Formats: sequence, structure tokens, C-alpha cells
Amino acid sequence: MAQFALVIDLNTCVGCHACATNCKEWNTQAAFGPLSDFDPYGARPEGVWYNRIMTYETGEFPNTQVFHLPKSCLHCQDAPCVPVCPTGASYKREQDGIVLVNYDDCIGCKLCSWSCPYGCREFDEADKVMKKCTLCIDRIYDESLPPEHRKPACVLTCPARARFFGDIEDPESEVYRVIEERNGFVLFPDMGTNPGNHYLPRIETRVNLEEFEKHILKPDNPLFLEVMKRHHVSNKTQLPEEKQVEEVV
Amino acid sequence: MHPPISLIFFFLTAGTSIGLFIFMYSIEFLKLFGKGQGLPEEVILKLGILELILIGLGAFGASFHLGHKLRAWKAIKRFRTSWLSREAVFSGAYGFSLLVYLILNQLGANPLFEHFFGILTFVLGVLSGFSTAMIYASNRFVLEWNSSVTVIYYLLMYLMLGSTLMAYFSYLYRLPYLGTFIFLSFLFLVLAFGFRLAFNIRQFYLKRPTMNEALNLPHNRPIRVVDTGSTTDNYCTEEFYYRKGKEMLSTVIPIAYLLTFIVPLFLVLYAWITGTVNHWILGLTYIFVLVGSALERWSFFVEGNHVQNLFYGLYPEEGYKLRKGYMERKETKISLYG
Repeated sequence: MAQFALVIDLNTCVGCHACATNCKEWNTQAAFGPLSDFDPYGARPEGVWYNRIMTYETGEFPNTQVFHLPKSCLHCQDAPCVPVCPTGASYKREQDGIVLVNYDDCIGCKLCSWSCPYGCREFDEADKVMKKCTLCIDRIYDESLPPEHRKPACVLTCPARARFFGDIEDPESEVYRVIEERNGFVLFPDMGTNPGNHYLPRIETRVNLEEFEKHILKPDNPLFLEVMKRHHVSNKTQLPEEKQVEEVV
Repeated sequence: MHPPISLIFFFLTAGTSIGLFIFMYSIEFLKLFGKGQGLPEEVILKLGILELILIGLGAFGASFHLGHKLRAWKAIKRFRTSWLSREAVFSGAYGFSLLVYLILNQLGANPLFEHFFGILTFVLGVLSGFSTAMIYASNRFVLEWNSSVTVIYYLLMYLMLGSTLMAYFSYLYRLPYLGTFIFLSFLFLVLAFGFRLAFNIRQFYLKRPTMNEALNLPHNRPIRVVDTGSTTDNYCTEEFYYRKGKEMLSTVIPIAYLLTFIVPLFLVLYAWITGTVNHWILGLTYIFVLVGSALERWSFFVEGNHVQNLFYGLYPEEGYKLRKGYMERKETKISLYG
């Protein structure tokens, strides 16, 4: 069975919140909008977001690392939020595995959000219904859009190209490949939810330039401008390109 | 978890209604086997109307925690999978069956039909309470609730509410069951107290997940939240982490225990041992149980910690102690640079 999902590369995510912003921008005006805001320009702005970016720090000082975790509905394959819904408003589509909420049937009892271990469902106080990421279902099937634009808004906007979208059950898909190649993992694997969204782990990259320092032409060298000019004109000058890369997963 | 006032109200009204009916009908049922004298028809009518009003008020009040009250009827659609749906069906059916039972009883209809609806109402009432308790007990993401203890003490509190009020009505209508209901009040107060204590003690022995498990990181890697993505609270932090409630919890729980169990137990024991029975003692017993139960319900919600709080660093590590200084607690030194 197809399972559309997002794969997020934590190695390249810079935590710029562009995905969250563009998600809000698209979804507040599209088929599943609006995403209500309260006191947006005041001291305590609050609102509904399909996507939130959390930032964590691992390690102990001074050897710490910061990483950003964009978190939206994970479209679990065994979604615990679906069976608890008393009206059937919350449902999982068979054809693509996307979990959706039918706003016309939702009574706003909030029980689905109680049954989500990821906190990915938010109650809209203005519409009085539960809202969540739809994987931009109104974009990905829109045939009026060029094929390369039939992707969720967050994927299209990510400036670091940290987000991938596709069918994680299809061995031919890009998301399947990156999950396999880079050991994609899921959040809270012990909860038995079998999430669709995967994350690619951070890979620490260190560049050791000591060996190559003598080859590096620094700007304070009087020959710098001359060499650069020659390189630019004749493209014959070879700058050292080899780098020693050490990977620590 | 944020305590919804409407659900606390539903617990008190539905609990009193179902608890009272269980005892009222038990008396009638035992009469079938020649045990006891049953209840006068006018007492059944008065108590039955009270039970109907209470379950009606409960259903009306509970709808206030819904976003769309007029769509509440749709909650019957997923009976097969949802405990909330089952609760809605059983509560509604309980009210309807109770009404039919009362009509048959007052019309003096064939006892077969009367007792059929009596037994049906009894069963539906218990199923309604059970379904409500299962909404909480089946939620595996709130570990404090995710236990059979939750169901047992929930139902015991229904019986506690019912028996204390029935003891009062036994005195009010001069029924010959006063001693029995004083004993039953004592019994269910003690049992509910015991299971509530078990519910609390169990929380200290829970194996709680950690933030590392939530983020699927190695267990020995220190981690802390730097930023949650928004400058203010959001739905998740307000619904699943009631900050004000957490601060008040240590004060409210002892008061809830005192009002729900300790004071009523003393009142019932006083009435039982000294034989001093009057409106004040029995009325106050029920009032204390009622007010205490409201506080107990409030505590029940606030005590619940949803595992999604792990992503915000708001999940307790053990007991009521919140996660503080997590990094200092870890002995393993991690160096990412070898």
C-alpha cells in the first residue's frame, strides 16, 4: 500500500522556519484553511500551525551540537488518532496513506490530539475543529500545476533542500532510496505507531586543512589578486580541492 | 493534561445518576427473590426523575467541551472503534431505557417488561461508566491513566456517589435500608479510597519514556530543548501541560483526598457507630463526596502527563518531579570528537 510521507534531512536543516511559514501561507488560504491566528501582532501571538520546528542541543559543553527538528503530522501507518475519533472525521486514505480530518464531521472533542504521541494535531479555536498537516493534498494532486510543483509547500520552499516527499513504500522513489542509504529513522519508535515521516540522521563533517595549508592561497598573500585573475582568465590555476572528510554518524 | 470543567461536571452528574439507579434498582431486583420490601412507587418516581435530570444535565454539560455541540449526535458513528462513541451511545441508551423503566413502573405494567428495562438500564449504566473510564484507561500515551486501576476506581466512585446519596434518601423517605446504605457508603468509600491511593502510588513506579526515546537518539546522549519554535504557548503546551494546575497540584490532591474520602468516612463511621443519623450528617456526607470528587477529577486530569510533552521538555522523569538538570544526572561522558 502506498504511503506518502516526508523525509527530513537533519543534516542540512538549518532551522530557518521557512517550511513552517510557507506551510502556514499555503494552507491558510487553500482548501483546508484558514489556520487561525489570535493576537498576531500583540504580546502573546498564538495560532494554528501544521508544522513546528523544535531546536535541541545534544552533548555536553563544549562538545555540543544543535539540531533542528521540523515536526508535522507523521501520517502514521498505524495512526492511533484514527480509531479513537467518535465520528469517523479522522481517517486514513487507502490510496496514499495520508491521514486527514473531515471538518464537516469533526465535533472538536480533541480526543484525537490526546491519542497522538507527537503532538501534531492542533485545535482551531475559531473553526472549532481539529486541524493537522494534509501533506498539501490540494497541491500534490492538482493537475493544473506543473508536475515539479505537485509537492507539499514545505518541500518546495526549503532553501536547504532538506525535505523530500514521496511514497516511502515504493522502492523506485527518492524517499525510499534516501531512507535506505542514510538510515532514515522515525520518532518514538516504541509507541507502535509506525510513522510515515522519516528523518535522516546528522552526519558530522569535519574538514582538516592543516596538511593543505601551504597550498592555500590566502587573501593576505601579495600574489593573491594576480593568481586569482590568472585563474579567472585562463582557468589553468589549480586550487587544492582535496579535503579530508571524516564522518561521524 | 488540562482539566475540562464540562467533563468534571459530567462525572458528577452521570456518576450520581448511574450510582443511584444501581442501588435503587438493586432493591427492586432483590424483591423478586423475596429479599426486602422494595421501594414505594412514589420514591421510585422521585429518584427516577432525579436520575433522568442528572443524566440529561450531564449530557448537556459534557457537550460544552465539544467544538460543535450540534454535531454531537455524530459521535455514535464509530461505536466499533471509539470508546467516546460507545460512551455516547451507552449514556443516551441509559437515559432512554431509564425513562421507559419509570413509565412501566408507574403504569404498573407487566413485571416482565418492567424488570427487562430495569436490568437493561442497570447494564447500560455500568457500560456507560465503563466506557467513560476506558476513554482514559485506553490512552497509552498518558501512562498515569493507562491502567485497569483507573477503570476500577472510576466505577467505585460512581458507586460511592450513589450509595452516599441513597443513604440520605433512605433517611429522608424513612426507608428500611438506612443501615445497609450506611454500610455500603462506608464500603465503597474505603474501596474507592484504596484504589485512588493505588492509582497515585503506581505513578511513582512508572517506567517513563525519555526525550532520547522520543527523538530516537542513543540513551546516553545528553539532550535539552533550546527552542520550541514559538515565543508563546501553543495548543500542545496548553492542552497537555497545565502549568498553573501543576503548581497547584500538591495542594489540591490532599484537599481532594480529605473531602472525598477522609471526612465522609468519618461522618459515615460516626453515624454507624453512634447511631446518630440526621439530615446534616448524611447530607453533608454526600456534599463532601460531591465537592471532593470534583477536586479529585481535576487532580486526575492534571496528574496525567502526555508523552508529547517530551518534545517540549515538560515530561516528568519520576513521580511529580519535573525534568530539571537532566544533563547533570548523566554520569556517562560523551565526546562527539573522540
